[in-house]
Amino acid sequence: MSGPASSSPPAVSVHGLERAFKGGIKAVDGLDLEVREGEVYGFLGPNGAGKTTTVRILVTLLKPTAGEARVAGFDVVSQADAVRRNIGVALQEAAIDPLMTGRELLRMQGALHGMKGAQARSRAEELLDRVGLTDAGGRRVGQYSGGMRRRLDLAMALVHRPKVLFLDEPTTGLDPTSRSALWREVRSLNDDGTTVFLTTQYLEEAEQLADRVGIIAGGSLVAEGTPAELKAHVGEPTLHVDLAPESDVAAARVALSAVGPLVDCQDDARVAIRAARGKATVPLAIRALDEAGIAVESVEVESPTLDDVFAAVTGSTLEGATQGASADQAEVPA
Amino acid sequence: MIAGVARESRVVTALGRRALSVQFRRAQLLMPTFVLPLMLLAVIASGTSAGRDLRDFPEVSSYLGFVVAGTLLQGALLSGLTSGMALANDIEGGFFDRLLAAPVRRSSLVFGRLAGTLGLAVLQMAWFLLVALLFGASYPGGVLGALGAAALAVITAVGIGGLAIAIAIRTGSMSLMQSIFPFVFVLLFTAPAFFPRDLLTPTLRDLSAYNPLTYVVEGARGLLQGDASLGDPWIGLAAAVGLAAFATALAVLALRDRARRT
Ligand SMILES: Nc1ncnc2c1ncn2[C@@H]1O[C@H](COP(=O)(O)OP(=O)(O)O)[C@@H](O)[C@H]1O
Ligand SMILES: [Mg+2]
Repeated sequence: MSGPASSSPPAVSVHGLERAFKGGIKAVDGLDLEVREGEVYGFLGPNGAGKTTTVRILVTLLKPTAGEARVAGFDVVSQADAVRRNIGVALQEAAIDPLMTGRELLRMQGALHGMKGAQARSRAEELLDRVGLTDAGGRRVGQYSGGMRRRLDLAMALVHRPKVLFLDEPTTGLDPTSRSALWREVRSLNDDGTTVFLTTQYLEEAEQLADRVGIIAGGSLVAEGTPAELKAHVGEPTLHVDLAPESDVAAARVALSAVGPLVDCQDDARVAIRAARGKATVPLAIRALDEAGIAVESVEVESPTLDDVFAAVTGSTLEGATQGASADQAEVPA
Repeated sequence: MIAGVARESRVVTALGRRALSVQFRRAQLLMPTFVLPLMLLAVIASGTSAGRDLRDFPEVSSYLGFVVAGTLLQGALLSGLTSGMALANDIEGGFFDRLLAAPVRRSSLVFGRLAGTLGLAVLQMAWFLLVALLFGASYPGGVLGALGAAALAVITAVGIGGLAIAIAIRTGSMSLMQSIFPFVFVLLFTAPAFFPRDLLTPTLRDLSAYNPLTYVVEGARGLLQGDASLGDPWIGLAAAVGLAAFATALAVLALRDRARRT
């Protein structure tokens, strides 16, 4: 993350944002958040949490029914054109005309951003190369794989070198290889200084990419922080030791309690302690057991995941969360 | 200011080019725009050339020559309508959102689509006039008359396109656009596209006076036949331009309205 200049406005700032749809559903309900310049912000939430609605408001495709939002310093309603000049957008359903070729789409996108023919053409080639689609550039997008489409969609969002890039679930439905290719691309873009606002249902994705994560449920933020902060809130990592058969479990418990507070363990051949220092606890535990003459079979450190965070703040797991998980159950102030 | 106009015109050109090339890749839209009117022309010309023997039928080189103006008009209706369908398809598929998220004037999105309609209609009219010529039609009005008739039809295509685009923007529904298809023929048959106005039933004749396409098709016929008594080209031009201007304004307003509502 490049250090934000103190004078520049936040890349995204949202205050009391609301969006009600016909029928009274409040898809976004009192959202507050701020994304600093140069940050990768992960907007994490289950299906129906309000991620897409928020993104559509931020990219000027939808108007808020209350509250305000600014992107790159401009108001998304009253200064929509300025916002559009500064953002790149890759929407959830990579909306690309299947009858056009990748190259045509990129050139068209260049024209939409005011480029002249020659400039749009060379920028298209540059981007095709960047996302590894040079060979496929002349083929109709209808024949592309899901991963290729997403890469093209990303390339289109980059045509005008936007300050802020919005990616709505960029890897949903992708195979692991395509997913990590996209992650690499997002990281390299961020290294070049692009602010990234990324929505995802995947904990791993948020952990992998985001400098900060906001967890959204029922249209508002239920927790926010760096992945490490959020996990720390849920609890410290746990160190599990599997003892060799016939080992003295009681003696092991005594030896390990000197390293960290014991944690209840179902398994008889297993001892667990809290490991505030994470993996650094491993050598300490092994030495203590060794000195007590206890044979160890394996050791592992289990860190809380964002799933645990989500469970703690919403009372439901991310995978099992249904639409409109209530924000009232939040235990962590956002 | 001038830079802004140049920029928007690049946008319109790019969108127009895209609309046109995609139209050619969509067989289900290409068939009606380029083939259907010719099929109708062939049927009418072969089966009902007896029409010429009817009393009150104007003196023209052949019935074929008379009907070609109706074919041009029919082509204009179809290219306009398919433009609306293509837009509805863009809206349903989310492609239109990409355009809306771009820093371009909203009216440029409408003009871009209409530029595609215009390009399509130019190709279409040239094709119809050529095929009719091969069928044996003659154009006593000469090359200039044929060009003028084609121009009237092209402007009309833009007008119909504007109406269709306005509906597509307001409904965003491809299936609704498709269901409009038959009604377009009402516009065609309440205009003297295939018969002179005097041969229409009294009700149709009264109705046709209110249909701007009546003046377009008569004007085009006058130009093709080189006979202003068949239709005044200037009145035709006024009707075509009036329709195009009105429809374009409607489409731009529809888009503004949509932006305000979303
Ligand atoms: N156009 C709409 N009309 C009515 N309800 C909508 C509309 N768009 C989204 N919603 C509802 O708003 C809620 C949030 O949706 P969305 O923002 O798409 O969530 P996410 O992207 O997190 O899955 C859902 O309950 C959804 O059904
Ligand atoms: Mg979504």
